[in-house]
Amino acid sequence: MRRRLTYQSQLLLFLLPFVGGSLLLVVLPALATFAIAFTEYNSIQPPQWAGFANFIKLYESALVRISLRSTVLFLLTAIPLRLLGALLLALLLQSRRRFFAGYRAAVYLPTIIPEVAYAILWLWIFNPLYGPLNYLLETIGLFQVDWLSDPENAQAAIIFMSLFTIGEGFVVMLAGLQSIPRAYYEAATIDGASGWQSFWRITFPLILPWLLLLTFRDLLVSMQNTFTPSFVMTYGGPYYATTYVPLLIYELAFDFFDFGMAAAALVVTYVVLLLLILGVFNVVSGLWGTTDA
Amino acid sequence: MRRFRDSWRQVVAFGIAFLFLLPLFWMLVNSLGRIGAPPPTTFRWWPADPQWSNYRALFDLLPMLRYLRNSLLVVSIAVPLTLLTAALAGFSMAQLPDPHRRRLIYFSLAVLMIPSASVWVFRFQILRWLGLLDSLWALIIPAVAGSSPLFVLLFYWNFRRIPLAMYEAARLEGASALTTWWRVAMPMARPTTLAIIMLTFVLYWSDFVSPVLYIFDSAWYTLPVGLQILKQLDATNWPLLMAGALLMTIPVVLLFLVLQRTFLSVSSLANLFDRE
Repeated sequence: MRRRLTYQSQLLLFLLPFVGGSLLLVVLPALATFAIAFTEYNSIQPPQWAGFANFIKLYESALVRISLRSTVLFLLTAIPLRLLGALLLALLLQSRRRFFAGYRAAVYLPTIIPEVAYAILWLWIFNPLYGPLNYLLETIGLFQVDWLSDPENAQAAIIFMSLFTIGEGFVVMLAGLQSIPRAYYEAATIDGASGWQSFWRITFPLILPWLLLLTFRDLLVSMQNTFTPSFVMTYGGPYYATTYVPLLIYELAFDFFDFGMAAAALVVTYVVLLLLILGVFNVVSGLWGTTDA
Repeated sequence: MRRFRDSWRQVVAFGIAFLFLLPLFWMLVNSLGRIGAPPPTTFRWWPADPQWSNYRALFDLLPMLRYLRNSLLVVSIAVPLTLLTAALAGFSMAQLPDPHRRRLIYFSLAVLMIPSASVWVFRFQILRWLGLLDSLWALIIPAVAGSSPLFVLLFYWNFRRIPLAMYEAARLEGASALTTWWRVAMPMARPTTLAIIMLTFVLYWSDFVSPVLYIFDSAWYTLPVGLQILKQLDATNWPLLMAGALLMTIPVVLLFLVLQRTFLSVSSLANLFDRE
């Protein structure tokens, strides 16, 4: 008497865990953030409507201002450098020469080192007394740096260590380069184009969509990835210089149990990220959108 | 000239690979230093008397075995579960008619764009309602949703390239959707499957944020939390810290070395990302 589902409804059933799970675990919490931002909520008592009180508190908080500023600074410096690094490495290592498969693996490897282990490793590298980085700087005759105890140096350090975890961008760039038909380059060579010319005329325009995709993804991912280094290495210090938004939200919500303010900080961050994305989009379409036609 | 350019490229490429591998090597070298002795201020390629006993000391100092067991439990449930949910969803998307399919792609991309910090606050609440807070399930639960829409999309792109006629043929022979998925679709998605196994393993093995947010009972701590505890206990005990870091890193590196041929070989990359 077992009734069999039609093939189509079996297919719909297969979607249930993904769609249902994403709605419950990602979409609902993300939307709820917008509602919680307007309440006073400590996760124990039911939320109380608070209007814009959280946003006013945010505006008045010096810590929030520092955090937002250092996050934006991080994004504006780290992302262009990370993308440039990924692109240059992909250009260098894309060919099928001897050993190059191994080199590609080596470049990808730091990306999969567990974050806490990676943070502890860099804590050692940046160590002012014994760390290899200062030793190296001294050997080549440069000065020693107090990497993690000076606010600006600590920010630079976090950016520097993020430049070695570009595996994802590297892989996407490799795939992007791979998708360009070889015939384009052959035609360019026949026409007498130099390597430099064929990069700017062929490679760059064709991988621009991939670069844009990576920019948008990195705006979200690399901000998120500051959490573990700033938690393990500096705990937001010195002088809150590395209290990036994820750590700020963690402190507001799980140290001070001010979920309302944490949610409000998130809403403000969304707006900032959205502005950054629109900014990037405008710049790019201004530069290339008009010449494409 | 061409020969010169070629060797120049080889040297630069080697230098870069060396630079990216150096930190990992330092991890090993420093994990073998003598505990308590001041670290050397000069550069050394290999310690004079390597202290392999540091790795045993790690297990004496902290309940590392328990952390290890918890981490292994999480990974061994989350990875197969992710494969199941992500692959089934991708399989379904590849065959559904167009308005549904397009909506599902938009849905996946939209979910992919949600920064994960924005779900922390309320997911805490949801996990409490579900009674999963403070258990390993709090760490595993994202696997029910395929762990990341990216994995669903990767499977979708892969299954989409298989001719629909092959699914049709299986269906006409009376195979259920589940059988078709397992017998027809999955065998043709090996590189994708291997890549997703690796990415998912790394995701759950390295996950530091979820246990920090959702786990309070030390009985359920995983390795990343254990490493953070070690750092809090003795922040200057570099040999032990490095030993712990390396211990966490080794499984990931081994898995990567086994799978990297499929993962990073240029031809399969084109396979993974080519959407047509």
